[in-house]
Amino acid sequence: MLTLLRNLRRVRRELSLPAPERGRSLALRHVDAGSCNGCEHELTLASSPYYDIQRYGFGIVASPRHADVLLVTGTVTTRMREPLLAAYRAMPEPRRVVAVGDCALGRGVLALDSEIVGPVEAVLPVDLRIPGCPPSPATITNALIEFSDRTAAEAL
Amino acid sequence: MSDPYRTRVTDALDAGCRFAGLYASAGGTVVRAAFVAPDGSIRLETAPVEAGRVPTIVDLAPAAGWDEREAADLYAIGFDGHEPLRPLVVHDLDLARWTVAVRGDDAYQIAVGPIHAGVIESGHFRFHVVGDRILQVDTRLFYKHRGLERAAEGRSLEDGLAYAMRACAACAVSNSVSYAHACEEALGLRPPPELARSRTILLELERTWSHLNDIAAICAGVGLAAGNTFFAALTERARRLNEMLTGHRFLFGSVQVGGSRLALDASNVAAACDEIAAISADSRSGWRDLLFNASFQDRLPGIGTVEAEDARSLGAVGPAARASGIDEDARSSSGRLAYDGFSPVAPHRVAGDAQARLEQRAIELLQSFELLAELLDRPLEPVAAERGDGERSVGIARVESPRGATLCAVEHGGGRIERLHLRTGSYANWPVVAHAAAGNLLPDFPLINKSFELCYACADR
Repeated sequence: MLTLLRNLRRVRRELSLPAPERGRSLALRHVDAGSCNGCEHELTLASSPYYDIQRYGFGIVASPRHADVLLVTGTVTTRMREPLLAAYRAMPEPRRVVAVGDCALGRGVLALDSEIVGPVEAVLPVDLRIPGCPPSPATITNALIEFSDRTAAEAL
Repeated sequence: MSDPYRTRVTDALDAGCRFAGLYASAGGTVVRAAFVAPDGSIRLETAPVEAGRVPTIVDLAPAAGWDEREAADLYAIGFDGHEPLRPLVVHDLDLARWTVAVRGDDAYQIAVGPIHAGVIESGHFRFHVVGDRILQVDTRLFYKHRGLERAAEGRSLEDGLAYAMRACAACAVSNSVSYAHACEEALGLRPPPELARSRTILLELERTWSHLNDIAAICAGVGLAAGNTFFAALTERARRLNEMLTGHRFLFGSVQVGGSRLALDASNVAAACDEIAAISADSRSGWRDLLFNASFQDRLPGIGTVEAEDARSLGAVGPAARASGIDEDARSSSGRLAYDGFSPVAPHRVAGDAQARLEQRAIELLQSFELLAELLDRPLEPVAAERGDGERSVGIARVESPRGATLCAVEHGGGRIERLHLRTGSYANWPVVAHAAAGNLLPDFPLINKSFELCYACADR
């Protein structure tokens, strides 16, 4: 355990990520509406030592009731439409929706038309679009930082 | 029961073949069952669907359960003798239709999903429990069903690759290579050694990041944050290596039908070997720490145990099967790939539990590092497949993905896809997860699930 922690400290030291300048936070809830699992794997690594989105006050929360932002990945399938809407309805106001990845944006989707509803914006109002197939953890992190700066400026 | 199809299936099983997949074809007028022989060759048995019905083989090969349910849902085929034939892909039915009735004092149900608490794919689990003890799990997947197989119909064989690849990012290479092999078999093409080497490198790169990810996930399942973040950092390095070599972190677009466009010059392969050696050294060090972490190790033995006999009859594949003592790995008999002399490894304790599945990943990782060092000993040039034996209308191939053997069948007419079927390692193993969970404590389910770490996307397609 001690070696593990020492190894981790070394990784963190070598990466020497800059300290964030701000003290704001956004609670994120993820919903997979019909992805290929690529966006999930990249979103997971956004929490890894190489990016560490928690530094900027972004935390993945377990319930939509605790969330400010709904991160939606994948094209919306017919079977995920209702669960996605239920998660959105459970969120407190103000709530934001971020469409993560090309499928969520309706770009280059491979699917049978009868099995999908369409892009996220066909179901929910989208506040931020993060393109990429899949977007890298760096792209996701940068887009979320910019978004949180913008929403904070709007709130003032 | 003298049905010729069932007789042929019985013969195949008696000859030592294992069930490898079943799908409906020709618009639901036939059902084809695939069996893999001990030498890795694939035997296909076809049964005509008469008046919408065909005999079941689920009593002969229990692993065919999900396949028959899928064919019933998507092609309206009845399987005589498969009772009750529960829905799998169709969701708008009463609970009683798709769950197993569990009755008794204090027995109740807990519904989990399709949306889960972390960054996890969508799928629904219905636990029948008494207190914290799981009696039975009904798994309902296919929330992410995108109809990829049917959407690919009518496309050219080249264009069809994207449908197999995009079924799942975590298995993109395995799915692509199995698709390319199936097409090449149908077209009468053979991969020359350099094409085999190119694809084997890609498959092992995929296994590397995937197994690192799985170890991180099992640490998360136990709640060991230090182990999780350490192996997550190694996963990130492996994905950066993928990007350096192929321009994509998940190796998308690196496999083609009928050849390979991947070129790696001397400096690429040297840099890759250095990075693989560095990741290997760190991963060994991290693994040692996990071995000596008593509180971590105490959480793993006896959790989600799958006995060898059950693993075999349920059709378990991949690291999960090998951790239960099934000495099978499609890499041992992959004539189209560069796995000469490969033999599968086994953990110290072949116990079929979470600990054995974790160790299986760790030792397979070492094997992948060694394979990559050997395969990346020289530059790689683009290469085309060679003309081999005659063309066929059905091509079928099996490739070992990080989660187990993936079967791909391609049926074509004049170079256009008439049927594409992808049966991934995850698809084969999902029923095994439900079996492994029964009898365990409910709070152990996340750990059991992560010790398999299956994809939902490539089961749902």
